[in-house]
Amino acid sequence: MTLFDIIFTGSKQALEAAKAAVDSAIEKKGSDAKVAFPETAYSLPTIYAATGKKIGNLGELRDVLSIVESLIVPEQNLEKALNAGLATALSAEIIEACKYAVEEKPYSEPCAGFISDAVIRSLGVPLVTGDIPGVAVVIGEAPSVEEAAKIIKNYQNKGLLVCLVGKIIDQAIEGKVKVGLELRVVPLGYDVTSVIHVVTVAIRAALIFGAVPPGNLEELLKYTRERVPAFVNALGPLSELVVSAGAGAIALGFPVITDQDVQEVPHFLITQKDYDKIVPTSLEARGIKIKITEVPIPVGFAAAFEGERVRKED
Amino acid sequence: MENCGCITCDAATKELYEKAKNEGIETVWDRARAMQPQCGFGEMGLCCTNCGMGPCRIVKVSKDGPQAGICGATEDTIVARNFARSVAAGAAAHSDHGRDIALALYHVDDKARIKDEEKLFKLADEWGITVEGKDTVQVAKEVAEKALGEFGKVFGNLLFLKRAPEKRIKLWEETGVASEAIDKEIVRVLHSTHMGCDADYRNIIRQAIRAAMTDGWGGSMIGTELSDILFGTPMPKKVEANLGVLKKEYVNIVVHGHEPTLSEAIVVAARDPELVELAKKQGAEGINVAGMCCTGNEIAMRHGIPMAGNFFQQELAIMTGAVEAMIVDVQCIMPSLATITKCYHTKLITTSPKAKIPGATHIEFDEQKSFEIAKRIVKEAVMNFKNRKGEVHIPDEKSEGRIGYSLEAIIKTLDRVTNTHAHPSGTVKPLVDAIKSGVLRGAVAIVGCNNHKQPHDSCHVTLAKELLKRDILVVTTGCGAHACVKAGLMSDDARKYCGKGLATVCELLDIPPVLHMGSCVDISRILVLLSEVAKYIGGDISDLPVAAAAPEWMSEKAQAIGLYAVASGVYVLLGVAPAVTGSENVATYLTKDIESVFGGRFEIESDPVKAAEKIAAHIENKRKRLGI
Repeated sequence: MTLFDIIFTGSKQALEAAKAAVDSAIEKKGSDAKVAFPETAYSLPTIYAATGKKIGNLGELRDVLSIVESLIVPEQNLEKALNAGLATALSAEIIEACKYAVEEKPYSEPCAGFISDAVIRSLGVPLVTGDIPGVAVVIGEAPSVEEAAKIIKNYQNKGLLVCLVGKIIDQAIEGKVKVGLELRVVPLGYDVTSVIHVVTVAIRAALIFGAVPPGNLEELLKYTRERVPAFVNALGPLSELVVSAGAGAIALGFPVITDQDVQEVPHFLITQKDYDKIVPTSLEARGIKIKITEVPIPVGFAAAFEGERVRKED
Repeated sequence: MENCGCITCDAATKELYEKAKNEGIETVWDRARAMQPQCGFGEMGLCCTNCGMGPCRIVKVSKDGPQAGICGATEDTIVARNFARSVAAGAAAHSDHGRDIALALYHVDDKARIKDEEKLFKLADEWGITVEGKDTVQVAKEVAEKALGEFGKVFGNLLFLKRAPEKRIKLWEETGVASEAIDKEIVRVLHSTHMGCDADYRNIIRQAIRAAMTDGWGGSMIGTELSDILFGTPMPKKVEANLGVLKKEYVNIVVHGHEPTLSEAIVVAARDPELVELAKKQGAEGINVAGMCCTGNEIAMRHGIPMAGNFFQQELAIMTGAVEAMIVDVQCIMPSLATITKCYHTKLITTSPKAKIPGATHIEFDEQKSFEIAKRIVKEAVMNFKNRKGEVHIPDEKSEGRIGYSLEAIIKTLDRVTNTHAHPSGTVKPLVDAIKSGVLRGAVAIVGCNNHKQPHDSCHVTLAKELLKRDILVVTTGCGAHACVKAGLMSDDARKYCGKGLATVCELLDIPPVLHMGSCVDISRILVLLSEVAKYIGGDISDLPVAAAAPEWMSEKAQAIGLYAVASGVYVLLGVAPAVTGSENVATYLTKDIESVFGGRFEIESDPVKAAEKIAAHIENKRKRLGI
């Protein structure tokens, strides 16, 4: 299968899953049931930014499915492949929105799920000043707890915001990585679709700080590409769905670095099998230069630890 | 594309063509019109003048006319022989060019005249010349000697054939086209096409391929490599193009022809303070050198000297009334220039003993006294400034582009997207990855000339744009390159013509979507690039999703180029049919059956939009076979 075909396949899978999620949610709650993420003024941010439409209930959410479908055109060129990647992002948001529509509190500790506007506003300034030099989205599963902890701590030491999706969350906790928003290590969720909660961080940054008009997809993608220094580390076996989500990241301008054998795309999709080099490879790929010098002390030292609480048992 | 009846898509050309019409000056288009209808026998390749019994012609339209020549040669034989002779002539032109460059290198007596020492030593290493304990001049001499040996060595195959992927080399050996010495193969075409010699059209074409190979993998490659050593390997730079680069207040010198030995010397001489001062004394603001055709490409690629125009603009340049001297050497110089220059003050200066034109001033160029002679020539031009008569009419047409994409420059550019922690540098990997992933669908070389049978430049430009929007990278040389740069396809702005994939690649690499790789001998750069890519994927050139096109070709050199490309495994689209249509066998062989032997073939398509569709289909087909 060509790389683009893998993306199209994954996007279709995501769409099917989104359809199923909407159907099941409507079955449970009815099409008038309210759909919203908590504490945001941007409705379903990805859909809002891409289409300019605010979604209020499940019936309106169902209508979005046809937009998603129209984005999946399996022609062999980059434009269509990136559109399919965006379709996957929209499908993921639909699926996640259904979770919030059906359940009172779909996410619980340690997972954060949707991130509120207030948090994004507080992250905005350090992102602009370079105090947070980048956003690392680590998704999947590292080969060992040690490798997982090493990579995450390495990012943390450099002051990056790290978002975790999948089994890497358990590996981080087992590896004694302290997690939490104030420590800039945020486990999002175990499902692949929960990656959308970091995507909406970038998207809301464009809406809030970039004043990108909702519905102007081109300008949105330009803003995220130029202004949001994010990248993805996809570790462990890659499903078609993950690859198509990766295409969504690439559409936003975020390079994907993986430890798996894939058809590399210069600058955007890079294979790095040496786990000691994943961090430098990622930083170079996103053009992130670390401003602070690392102090050779036996404990982690970075702004990420500023909010740390030392508990009695520690 | 509907033929709109325009002679050109280039505004400067249109403007000066109108001026020529108003002034009653005859140009190439007028002569082409006067020639109509052109002889059908010649057009189909069915006329033979190879012996005193002829001329013979084969009649195809009725059964009553002769079906064989007086000697008994059939249409297949006659067509194949005529084609082979054209190819041999083309190969001879390029090869003799290569020989002159090799001689120039041989006569270098000062290390300072070697501009790319690294390339020299690399080539010495490739050819097994020991360099230890030798100074640069000595190494240059030995490399030049080895190169000169390629023309007439008694035993062994062409050295540069080894640059091809292994599978290709093996195929050439098996099919008997691994060429030996350059001159020998060209002579053999002339021999076997003599009356009463080779009558087997496939065998005649096989020998024609052997001769063509001595061009691409011989003379042209020697010309390019040694020119780089002598004058520097081209690197990306900005350039201005079209007739608007001529300057009213300056002494304008147009260098036209092919060999960079002359034009390089002219470029240096034109910067000589003494001559610049002299120009000022004549009332000019300075000296402005501009290049035309391939010599224009050579000095543009290496020095950013403005590109005045391509083949069909040579007469028009003079009609601006602003050209003090047109300095020419060899190949593609219209003898009509002598007539046209008489209407103006322009001096036509021929410089090669191989190419004199009645009515021109002949100042013979000698590589060993290059600077002295160049100064003399430039002085002629400077002293001619005051002789301008009538009104100067320079079209206000010029565009800007970035050129200088030698193979070395391309690889260096590709390093921009390698990750230092994950990838090796200095390889074609990023290009291969971009193609394999599908971000780029493939690459096409647009080369060749201008021809009155096609609207000037329009086919080059239309084809290029059609390919760009399909995410197909275009590389170009020769007059195709002139056409593309004039049309703005070598500017950053040209990204607007590109599909998302190609536009992204251009942005990341900071390149234009059409890469100027040089003059017609520099097509050898494309051969090496294809070889490198094929080797990287562990395949053959014929596996690659690539093609070549000569939408407005006219010269015998173009036929040689086309044939060596086909024999190298490339699909070659021609916008003008070569004179082979008189023999169905030969035409079918070249456009169909030859593919099963070499993996490349000719395709004839005069409509550039349809040509792009055919090329894109070919590329997608190759991708499918590669499973990408």
